[in-house]
Amino acid sequence: MNILKQELRMGRKTLIIWCLSLVGVLSLFMLLYPSIASQLEDFQKVFESFPPEFQQAFGVADLELSSILSFYQFALMYVLLAGAIQAMNMGVSIISAEVREKTGDFLFVKPISRNRIVSMKILAVLIQILITNAVIFTASLIMVTLLSTESYDFELFALFTLSLLFIQIFFASLGLFVSVFLRRIRTILPISMGVVFIFYIIHLLNETLKDEKLGLISPFDYFNLSEISKNMNYDSLNLLLWFVLVGLFTFLTFKLFARKDLPSI
Amino acid sequence: MNVIEINQLTKYYGKHRGIENVSFSVEEGEIFGFIGPNGAGKSTTIRTLLSLIHPTSGSATIFGKDCIKYGNEIRRDIGYLPSEVFYYEHMKVREVLNYSASFYDNVDYTRIQSLAEVMDLDLNKRIDDLSYGNKKKVGIVQGLLHEPKLIILDEPTGGLDPLMQQKFFELIRTENQKGATVLFSSHILSEVQKLCSRVAIIKDGTIVQVENIRDMQKHNYKKFTLEFKGVIDVHHFNLDGVTNLSVNEDTLHFLFKGDINRIVERLQGQSLLNMLVEEPSLEEIFMHYYQKEEQP
Repeated sequence: MNILKQELRMGRKTLIIWCLSLVGVLSLFMLLYPSIASQLEDFQKVFESFPPEFQQAFGVADLELSSILSFYQFALMYVLLAGAIQAMNMGVSIISAEVREKTGDFLFVKPISRNRIVSMKILAVLIQILITNAVIFTASLIMVTLLSTESYDFELFALFTLSLLFIQIFFASLGLFVSVFLRRIRTILPISMGVVFIFYIIHLLNETLKDEKLGLISPFDYFNLSEISKNMNYDSLNLLLWFVLVGLFTFLTFKLFARKDLPSI
Repeated sequence: MNVIEINQLTKYYGKHRGIENVSFSVEEGEIFGFIGPNGAGKSTTIRTLLSLIHPTSGSATIFGKDCIKYGNEIRRDIGYLPSEVFYYEHMKVREVLNYSASFYDNVDYTRIQSLAEVMDLDLNKRIDDLSYGNKKKVGIVQGLLHEPKLIILDEPTGGLDPLMQQKFFELIRTENQKGATVLFSSHILSEVQKLCSRVAIIKDGTIVQVENIRDMQKHNYKKFTLEFKGVIDVHHFNLDGVTNLSVNEDTLHFLFKGDINRIVERLQGQSLLNMLVEEPSLEEIFMHYYQKEEQP
């Protein structure tokens, strides 16, 4: 438990900054809603006049801007993107920081197994992700409720918002795997931004191509917001794939790290 | 009983040699020196003992248990001071030490206070405000606070001023008298000679020699540098026990092993400008070990 406490303490400041930024991004978009709500139908017409390929590439093909949730869907996409970077940052850094900050000679000579250290660190990441999601869920619930003029579907709202949790867990586990796979990591942000954006671009590409196989690559496609609003549920195949991949990354993290040599200073 | 037993330990970093077939053992209750120049493999050996790295082949046991397999169990009774110390920068010294203590059972927390007082360490400072020497003190307290049965020191004195080194050696001696075994790695021969009963000498990844300090002192080499006024009669100093004799303009260099009075006798009647009698450096001692190996 001491490791968990230590990790949460060390990650506290970063977590607060991320939560504030994510809420900031969300409110920035959502506060636009009242001023343009009346013109949304016009926007819709403008979008519809675009060529279909163009519509798809920008993710506005199935967009119904008329309701608060469809507007929320639009805003949430950016939160998902930023949240993925946050989660991957945490995943990459939490173990590799001990090597980068050269504190490994302190922690790894303590009478505790590496597996236990990794478990505690993963738990710390998970708790921070849960906190982030609780903050985002509460903030967006308040915003959507305050801004909506008519009633909205809470279930759909919950499905939308919870996709952040799944996407963050995916990227955190990927980050953990990457951090034990690479020999030495000097900077984290380029790695996590790079990986997240590649997956995001694949997702955008697939918005146009609508290729089923391509859809299996990017976690942003597993939790495709327009598909969710159509089916009112997550896709079970994608959910299974998510589960298998997260499990695999976590397993490999334990496996690889147990055998890893810690470079001397 | 042997506290540490290293058996044909080999570690390669990819193609780079770390150590090759290192074998030696450390008995319970002794202070064992581990000397060798930088890059010889001291840290590699120690890091394997602590299971920070995994051996390519061979094995090592501590307290009779395999150091990789039973690593976490063994480490309960090990105190380790690395050559360079790094801690969580934004934490206070006291917090780091308490965090360290939280990993062990039955830690006497007043010991942190008393060790810090001995080492003259301010517990309320932040780690990132500490000088190198003060960080080292944190490392010392951190390594000793749980009263380990085996203390592993990897070039521990760097950054400590002479007074602190003295206090540190006293601390180590006290722990040793209380029953702790010490593995002391260093590249400074004199500090090893001060503390240790036996030494292993490592060079280029292999153990050159394991020896009693007392035996080493028997062939106690002295390094002479004599600066003469006028011509030097080299043959005058070519005695039994003189090695590495060389002349450089007015200066004569040689290593001497034996009764020092014989050199003093020879110096009588010579007119000298300067004279220096020193302990040979570690490198020169190593030269002596290599030479001995060459002569069967």
